[in-house]
Amino acid sequence: MNRFALAYREQQQLFLFDKTYLLGTLLKVGGLSTLTGRFIVQFFWNPTIALCLTVLLLLLGGWMLWASVRRSFSDWVLLPVVCIPFVLLGASLADNAVYFDVVPAWLFAVGALWLYNNCTRARVWKGLLLTGVLYLAAGPAALLFAVCAMITDAFRRDWRGTLYPVLGLLCGWLAYRLAWVPTLAAAWTPALYYNIDAPLPAWHWTAWACLPLSVLFCEVLKRLKVKRWVPLVAGLALLGGTFIPAGSIAKKSELRQSSLDYEFEYYTCREDWDGLIEACMHAPWLPRTANYLNMAFAWKGELSERLFTFDQRGPSALVQNTPDRGIDVAMSHLLFTMGNIAAAQDVAFNLFYSLNGMCPAMVKINAQIELMRGTYAVADKYLSILEKAPHYRSWARSHRRFLYDDAAVEADPLLGNGRRNLAAENGFSMFSDPVGELFPILDVNPGDTRAREYVLCYLLLMKDLNSVKHFIEDYYQGEKVLPRVAQEAMVFYSEYSRNVEGIEPFGIDWCYDHGVIHDTVLRFIAYQQAAVAGKASLQKFRGTYWYYLIHTEI
Amino acid sequence: MRKFFLLLLLALCLACSRNVRSDGTLDSLPPIWPDYAGVTVPCNIAPLDFSYLGDEPCRLLVGDRCIKGKDGCFIVPKRLWRAQMAADSLQLTVQVCRDGKWLSYQPFTVYVSRDEIDPWISYRLIPPGYQGWQMMGLYQRELAGYTERAIIENRLTGGNCMNCHTYCNGDPEKMVFHARASFGGTLLVNDGSIEKLNTKTDSTLSALVYPYWHPSGDYIAFSVNKTLQVFHSHDPNRIEVYDEASDVVVYNVHTHEIAWSPLTKAADRFETFPTFSPDGKWLYFCSARAVAPMPQEYKGAKYGLYRIAFHPEDMTFGDELECVYDAPLEDKSVSFPRISPDGRWLCFTRHGYGNFSIWHKDADLWLVDLQDGSVRELAGVNSDDVDSFHTWSSNGRWLVFSSRRDDGLYTKPYFTHVDADGKATKPFLLPQENPLEFYKRRMESYNLPAFTTGPVETDAFDLVRTMRDDAGINVTVKQ
Repeated sequence: MNRFALAYREQQQLFLFDKTYLLGTLLKVGGLSTLTGRFIVQFFWNPTIALCLTVLLLLLGGWMLWASVRRSFSDWVLLPVVCIPFVLLGASLADNAVYFDVVPAWLFAVGALWLYNNCTRARVWKGLLLTGVLYLAAGPAALLFAVCAMITDAFRRDWRGTLYPVLGLLCGWLAYRLAWVPTLAAAWTPALYYNIDAPLPAWHWTAWACLPLSVLFCEVLKRLKVKRWVPLVAGLALLGGTFIPAGSIAKKSELRQSSLDYEFEYYTCREDWDGLIEACMHAPWLPRTANYLNMAFAWKGELSERLFTFDQRGPSALVQNTPDRGIDVAMSHLLFTMGNIAAAQDVAFNLFYSLNGMCPAMVKINAQIELMRGTYAVADKYLSILEKAPHYRSWARSHRRFLYDDAAVEADPLLGNGRRNLAAENGFSMFSDPVGELFPILDVNPGDTRAREYVLCYLLLMKDLNSVKHFIEDYYQGEKVLPRVAQEAMVFYSEYSRNVEGIEPFGIDWCYDHGVIHDTVLRFIAYQQAAVAGKASLQKFRGTYWYYLIHTEI
Repeated sequence: MRKFFLLLLLALCLACSRNVRSDGTLDSLPPIWPDYAGVTVPCNIAPLDFSYLGDEPCRLLVGDRCIKGKDGCFIVPKRLWRAQMAADSLQLTVQVCRDGKWLSYQPFTVYVSRDEIDPWISYRLIPPGYQGWQMMGLYQRELAGYTERAIIENRLTGGNCMNCHTYCNGDPEKMVFHARASFGGTLLVNDGSIEKLNTKTDSTLSALVYPYWHPSGDYIAFSVNKTLQVFHSHDPNRIEVYDEASDVVVYNVHTHEIAWSPLTKAADRFETFPTFSPDGKWLYFCSARAVAPMPQEYKGAKYGLYRIAFHPEDMTFGDELECVYDAPLEDKSVSFPRISPDGRWLCFTRHGYGNFSIWHKDADLWLVDLQDGSVRELAGVNSDDVDSFHTWSSNGRWLVFSSRRDDGLYTKPYFTHVDADGKATKPFLLPQENPLEFYKRRMESYNLPAFTTGPVETDAFDLVRTMRDDAGINVTVKQ
């Protein structure tokens, strides 16, 4: 189980202590399990807590199942068998399209089985009642209970247990007929606990099938007249064997989405830029990783200084410029970092809702941008929502002071900068390229150093040295010292311009006048000598712009 | 126990005593939300609960009854409200407690019209976003109470997009709406039957888009549009929705055919937002000179209001196009023409450019007097923000429209009374129990509010089944 994937579930919902939310969630098929699941997931903002809570719940489920099928404590040998379905359920959770609701739904089903198996009188009525109530509370997991109860009854030669699956199916049909659930599959199968926009992959059935099978197996083992170690060994062997399909399920699930993104988002949402840098350093050559890594550098004010501390692969390392710029949270964070506030909101608003409700990070960005815009009524609306979620309450309250206070907004480094950026001449956001849209922003707010660094680095990574030169002339006027990579670029370009026809030549004096220091010129001479000596001598220049310019294909 | 009940009764009597003291008066009207001061309401509307926006303890005097404010909110008992609705107006006085003294704000009046409002409205609830629609649906709301019911929600249909629900003369048994993306198609509910239509043809630009029913129920006029949207980087309007091309066609609900006139499908013009006249003999629509390239030239699209004769007997059109209001002449544009059931007034949205006025802050409601052709603003109704999509009640005395006046982003339905002379009253917001809390909590915009003469009873199950399982009827072009 990837703890960051689990933690990301917290970003797929916003649990609100609010009558509308609580009732709205509860009054649906499986509402209680949904509400319980979401209540638990709100604590997943810490990946370790997320992992521990999930493991604890799965263990609790295993124990409850064992308590349901054991005759006495001497049946502890059955423990490995009852753990099998919960191992597989845990593996399914690697797929973030599986709602966490499924865990409490299972717990309710197994809890009901425990209650049922411990009652002696009016078992049929109680079984039917449990099936019906469970269907409303936990959805199709009621069918798991019904089948398990039927199996345990069958071993007692009581065939009335067949009524429970029939009732469970009937409840499902009714829910379907009343349009409480979209399809019969959702009414009867784990599809209800899966993202409505996507079909349920077949492998998620494994855990469901294993629950009644493990009950069946336990009942058989209990009745075998064999030595005690036999069921134990058989159970352990089965459990051991389960880890193979479980690993496969987890892997298939994780393949459906980049598990790295979850980790990056975790650090991004917490503005833990050092953590993000460390996480990204495992595979910085991947474009998306590079986006996050460069974003972390930008927030630390070190983008240009650390640009070549890893191998950059062209301008897409800053922001991927595809015609169909995907609507994803990373893009919103990136645009927000770059200072393209309107574009960031365009994306963030479309991501306002995630899999299970509002996405907290996107609600926060929207609240910040509304404060920047001065649309305080809308900002107030979003802050009010965040205040209903305990984990975000203090953040929301700390932002209340900006409401209807333009002076406070303008004095705030982040909000004030964003407001100044929004004053740029109007255009269509995300219409040209994301970096090109920063020029009008810089024209009205040249003090946005993050935006300026993004443009500079983008042009450098494009190897568009003429544009870099003009950009420096226009936006770095009066800077005593240019960022090192820009110095390296200009020293190179100065010499290049003097040797290549068609380019307006400019001398080293221009470089000195525009923030290039003498040390850079000396290092360039050393680089040229190393270049003559051969590629091996160039290794110590790997972190320079010259090396990128000559040796990196984009 | 008996004593306890007596004390409780006494407390209740004190809470709602008929003789409430006032230790002084304040010169101003109370700061309240929604602003119901001076509005005109129909006699069959739900109680107008509202909140006092100050922090002090407060109470509300309704006639000789007193209602204690809870967190500033006054919940008017339904029975008391009903009784008050029998009069022509009611006076409301807010009192606040300052330094132990109860001070009265200036009373304000709510006028009561005997013109009843249609009992239900329906609308789409959708986040006022730009492309995402993960959670949305079509809903209906009873106006005499606060009940809201889903007609259909997209959680049942693969999270697809649903839009453009329209009724024939407000008849909930005759409804049409579209589904986009998964299980896409046009769903037509017609007196108990449900059809799914595949409305894209080789001869039209797109699937059918903005609908309007012919009063006979036999036809529906639609636009076909190549619509796109972009996000403004630094403009108060935020979004620009524009057409690269559009035409107007008419669909026959019996033969599943569409037809058009060359005048509603001109290559050099954008035609959209069709509307039939109440007698069914005229088809009104908006039309602009085509501009390109889009979106760069988006401000150049200026729509005027036109009409063409329509012959329902054989689904044919007249030969001439009449200009009803040449808005481009005034450097303006129009959208959403809607004619009152008596045929006298045509209400439209007027704005600077383009056709998707819901994102234009300058959008206001205007009227054409179809008797004399005069055009004027619907005075007293408009705000500084968007006032757009509107429909008439079946008696032609009430308009419901979408407005962003409260926060600039989330549209809410407002109602105004329009008298026989076309004079409108100060609009009021759709009442809710504790509206301040309700609207702050509601994270969706009210889209396309439309009156209905009763609740839509079509089974959501049947709608879902048709949408999901039905292959659909292919719409063809009339030869």
